[in-house]
Amino acid sequence: MPITVRIPTPLQKMTNGKAEVECSAGNVRELVDVLEKEFPGMRERLSEGGKIRRFINIYVNDEDIRFMSKEDTALKDGDSISIVPAIAGGGYNRRVRR
Amino acid sequence: MRRIMLIINEDDLQTIFANCSREYPNEACGILAGSPGVVEQVYAMTNARPGLASYEMDPEEQFRVMKAIRRSGLGIVGIYHSHPSGPAYPSGIDVERAYWPGTLFPNFPDAAYMIVSLAHPSNPAARTFAISDGQISEVELIVRQA
Repeated sequence: MPITVRIPTPLQKMTNGKAEVECSAGNVRELVDVLEKEFPGMRERLSEGGKIRRFINIYVNDEDIRFMSKEDTALKDGDSISIVPAIAGGGYNRRVRR
Repeated sequence: MRRIMLIINEDDLQTIFANCSREYPNEACGILAGSPGVVEQVYAMTNARPGLASYEMDPEEQFRVMKAIRRSGLGIVGIYHSHPSGPAYPSGIDVERAYWPGTLFPNFPDAAYMIVSLAHPSNPAARTFAISDGQISEVELIVRQA
């Protein structure tokens, strides 16, 4: 049973609209390489300088890889991977009262 | 498809205002689940980065809630946050974070972005926007009385 990767909506353009893809990889870093091979451009979307991009969260069977071994987190057949963009924003500075 | 209106019950809007007031002077944030263009459930979320005039939903909580929404057969129809002293209009960072990093692919294409201004704390004001194709366009917020 291969690894199942849930592809978020904004990246489904790169997977021909597929919301889930299946593949095999030994860890998260390898997974990025495998996805890049199948869907060119995926590496740049997911990582920068070999690290998963800020504001992108990756879960292996519901566990955030930041609390596991990050890019070295081991994967095995049957694992379920989710790639989720952070919901964030802000930036209006406090008004200074005079 | 870009939606031009978002329908919300008065009670749900008051729930959002109460969440924003409670978190003041930090930014509050949450997810609106529903069917296309209609809010059916409000999820107030934990701001994992308060105190920086910004917000970032707690990633674990966000993941859990997104899963619950999917399982309930609903979708994410809106994302709200407060501007404790700024206008009810997206900031540059709000716009930047609405897209997948380094692209103009909207992270949540079916979601409207609601911003609650607490510039007048006793009188919160909400406006809602679509952020896509590099543009900000207002989405009409229709408040349904109970």
